[in-house]
Amino acid sequence: MDFTISEEQQSAQQLAQQILSDFTEVDKLKAIEQQQESFDAGLWQALAKAGLLGLDIAEDQGGIGLGFYSLTTLCEEVGRTVAPVPIIPVLVSAAGTLRRFASDTQRDQWLPGIASGTTLISAALEEYNNDDPTTPACSAQKMEGGYSISGTKICVSEATSATRILLSAHTGDELVVALVDPRAAGVTLNPQLVSTGESRHELVMAKVQVPTEDIIAIGSEALAAMDWAHTAARTALASMAVGLCDKMMRITGQYTSEREQFGRPIATFQAVSHRLADCFIDVECLRLVTQQASSLINEGHPAKSAAQIAKIWCGNVTHRVSQASQHCHGGTGVDRDYPLFRYCQWARQIELTAGSSAQLSGELGQAICAEYLSKVG
Amino acid sequence: MNIELTAQQKALQLEVREYMKTVMTPELLEEIKIPEFKEGGGPEFRKQYARMGADGWIGLSWSKELGGKELSHVEQYIFTDEVVRSGFAYPFLTTESTTPVIAANANAEIREEVVGGVKQGKVVIAIGYSEPNAGTDLASLTTKAERDGDNWVINGQKMWTSLANYADYVWLAARTDPDATKKHKGLTMFLVPTNIEGFSLTPVNTLGVRTNATYYSDVRLPDKYRVGEVNAGWKLITGQLNIERLSLFTHGQVDSLYQGVCEWAAETAAPKGGTLIEQPWVQHNLATVKSGLEVVKLICWKQVWAMDQGPLNMADASVAKVYSSEFFVELYRLLLEVMGQAGTIATDSPGAVLKGKLEFRWRVGAVLTFGGGANEVQRDIIAMAGLWMPRTR
Repeated sequence: MDFTISEEQQSAQQLAQQILSDFTEVDKLKAIEQQQESFDAGLWQALAKAGLLGLDIAEDQGGIGLGFYSLTTLCEEVGRTVAPVPIIPVLVSAAGTLRRFASDTQRDQWLPGIASGTTLISAALEEYNNDDPTTPACSAQKMEGGYSISGTKICVSEATSATRILLSAHTGDELVVALVDPRAAGVTLNPQLVSTGESRHELVMAKVQVPTEDIIAIGSEALAAMDWAHTAARTALASMAVGLCDKMMRITGQYTSEREQFGRPIATFQAVSHRLADCFIDVECLRLVTQQASSLINEGHPAKSAAQIAKIWCGNVTHRVSQASQHCHGGTGVDRDYPLFRYCQWARQIELTAGSSAQLSGELGQAICAEYLSKVG
Repeated sequence: MNIELTAQQKALQLEVREYMKTVMTPELLEEIKIPEFKEGGGPEFRKQYARMGADGWIGLSWSKELGGKELSHVEQYIFTDEVVRSGFAYPFLTTESTTPVIAANANAEIREEVVGGVKQGKVVIAIGYSEPNAGTDLASLTTKAERDGDNWVINGQKMWTSLANYADYVWLAARTDPDATKKHKGLTMFLVPTNIEGFSLTPVNTLGVRTNATYYSDVRLPDKYRVGEVNAGWKLITGQLNIERLSLFTHGQVDSLYQGVCEWAAETAAPKGGTLIEQPWVQHNLATVKSGLEVVKLICWKQVWAMDQGPLNMADASVAKVYSSEFFVELYRLLLEVMGQAGTIATDSPGAVLKGKLEFRWRVGAVLTFGGGANEVQRDIIAMAGLWMPRTR
């Protein structure tokens, strides 16, 4: 058992902190928010230049190969700065899956471009009322030279700028993981404004033809790939929430230490300081379960249950810390000229992505039931 | 970053688990049904405690000079976790909290007498800190010790002196300078043999276990029983608090309750068909417990790992105390809810689930959120040390 963060990882995290905070001054964030798509291309290039887009991409494919744990520390820093970059769909769900499940040719084709920031591959893991990419409603039909895919994915990041979008569909017999070109015939992209304030897209596919070279995995391999992506995305979201909540709570600690009412800083009222102490406890709990899930994935060990638990905590803690932060700020927190609202928007988005706490508690409970029914046999 | 036990650590865990099964003899299981001996002190308890000493299991974390094995905090935690899981009333406050302080600060004769006795599993020490009017504000205690030649004359009353009914000594905090500018600067630590003249006690029967009020009436204590410098007692009290807590909120004791209830619910029929564990509301409670338990495990591991790297961060130690104490209380309730009415049936009554362990644990658990440092004080510490907020008033 070792909680040490290696020097390499520490310096990667520090570098990320520095670049991200340079690019997320309030004026810059406001400018990006005026754009059609809230994506900071300049920041993405800066991260690429520093090698940070390749943290979990092998050296052979132009990455630095530090591993999944290291990538989750980058997610944490993105959360801390609410930086407008699609770190999870591109680097975790898409690149992480490609690294582990794509063919050598596919890896060589896509990963170097992702690491260098020249190619954007997004992922679409969610459908209406279904966050589980191992059981998609989208259908795939085998045809000459590939598959024909139909169905709808929702809240897709970077759908208009991505070269390909990684997603899953079902033939009825088996699962298929494919890279879909959003410009292909049969694709319709409908803008969806989401809680973060970003414009994402509903991706509607009507018999979209995907050539064999863009099929990543089929059958049990596809199932393993989507299991991995689901677990990894949940863990990465929880990592992002660690940074996000830690920052919200610290902004609030500082604000309440300065804000005076009744002739004294409101932080000197126990009712206020204890609410923030509870946030601190929550964030530490979230950090621990998240580190556990991410270190298990990093070691290639089973992490499904650990990621479920991390995401349950993630949903609860994002909600509680976000609301406590707003509450302790009084009206200041809701003002869009003050930075807190961005954190609260992201908190809600993360909470409801890849399974809510209630849903995951249900799943975990069913797993416990199955485990003990088979035990007592 | 690798948050799993190593093969070596798992082997130690298994070794202690197997050994403790031999300590929990049928005789001991009978003996602890007697309320007076529930927290140890009976003849079979004494026998097994001494056997643990003879088998070399006591003082594993102590220095080699004291006859210990200098186990790391991680290894010591693995030992503690398994001992608590077994249900043996091992006196951790004696072995882990007070004895190392006594070893470092007592005079040679007393060190020999006490440390040697503990090592052999023959000595138990009760803690004499709290008083009727000094609890959370411990430094305001008024039991006084006055110098009289080579002796100290001690007068006062202590409250919640658990184990004093069978302990060999009370580790006593007394006021030696009533005029100190700051009240925590006038305190000195003593070891009071419980057979000394002027010492007496009355039982205090609580919601959970028996504890004691102890009285000190002109107790004439030789100076050799003073531990540390005069008026320098506060550091000896506070220096051990984090280690003390590590034996209070271990993972195994609550994990075994969770597992026990899961097994019970998987075997128990639900009124409208199927088993209890198939009911959504039962699964909800079990999932909530499981998510919280994972954090208990990780908090313990992280703390002992951190203690092996250097001093423990103040805010982190308080986080562990608040989270674990409040979660334990919540866990007892969530698991009792699964049992429903059967959860109220006490140990040894027909129909008791898990031998009535949960019915007993919630009773004992009532003290967790204020014992060992009230959670309000811990939250004050978290806000100051963790978030750099100003002191509350």
